[in-house]
Amino acid sequence: MSSHASNVDPKTAELWDKSHYQHDVISTRTFGYFMYLLSDGMLFATLFAAYGVLSYQHSYFGGPTPAEFVKPWYTFAQTMALFFSVLTYGLGMNALKHKNKSGLINGLIAAFVLGVLFLALDIHDMMHLASLGITVATSGGVSAFIVLTQVHAAHIFFGLIWILVMMAQVLSKGFTTDVVGRLLTLRMFWHLQAIIWVFVYVFVYLWGYMS
Amino acid sequence: MSHGHDDPTLHPEVQMSTSRGYFSGFAISSILMLIATFLVTSRAVPPFGLLMVIAVCAGIAVIAQIYFLLHIDISEHNIWNTVALVLFMPLFLITIGLTWWMFSQLYLHTMIMPGMTH
Repeated sequence: MSSHASNVDPKTAELWDKSHYQHDVISTRTFGYFMYLLSDGMLFATLFAAYGVLSYQHSYFGGPTPAEFVKPWYTFAQTMALFFSVLTYGLGMNALKHKNKSGLINGLIAAFVLGVLFLALDIHDMMHLASLGITVATSGGVSAFIVLTQVHAAHIFFGLIWILVMMAQVLSKGFTTDVVGRLLTLRMFWHLQAIIWVFVYVFVYLWGYMS
Repeated sequence: MSHGHDDPTLHPEVQMSTSRGYFSGFAISSILMLIATFLVTSRAVPPFGLLMVIAVCAGIAVIAQIYFLLHIDISEHNIWNTVALVLFMPLFLITIGLTWWMFSQLYLHTMIMPGMTH
């Protein structure tokens, strides 16, 4: 023990072994990211709660209600753009399973383009509402409606940036543990946006329209 | 769960994705959203029944997506994600439900009454 220790130079000694024998780095990260996404879900819970308490008749202060400005089929087109984006991302990840780099990149490009379509439809919708004088300042009800839908849109925006970053990293770094781990966490993030969107679409857009 | 290899693409979380799963999740949720949109626009069902129907559509669509896309199941690899999600759901529902209940009682007792219904 003492003879061994005398050979260790404290200035260059490594205290941690960088290799991981059976420790599963990817699973640890994806589980941690899943925890983060669930806390993101709580953010949406508070916004849904705010919309719930601000969607009574008096919340609109006599002004426009979602029943007047929501266009169900327009928003259904948005829904399909997002669902297709999620599908193509999934198919890209299926290509990753077979180490097919071009298949993965194609999937990411398709997911990106469809995500941009979703966001463009959303921004066009918001611009249209603004042109009708319907903004966050109109009433508490409209405020809750816009904040909830646009927080979701902001998630999509950051997801799109992340998709671009992952395309660059796949091309420059290849399938390293870090890159594959990030692709998995991005998949979780992107799929969760579709799940949140189901709630937003049904309980905010459709229910708002029929109220 | 033991991985005696260094190739990250062989990791179970990569290997468990299947095209069939993604297509199933996509098809089920798309059809349910189509049904919900059609029912709401046609106004064929009375409001309360309609709300129940579209809520069921949303519920099934979300379950299908969680199962087929997020791979939340009771397999050895995913069991802790499932446990976390199951424990998360009551928090999510209680946050929304209790807030909603408190404010509806507030509105009721402060008599801001024009149209208490949605």
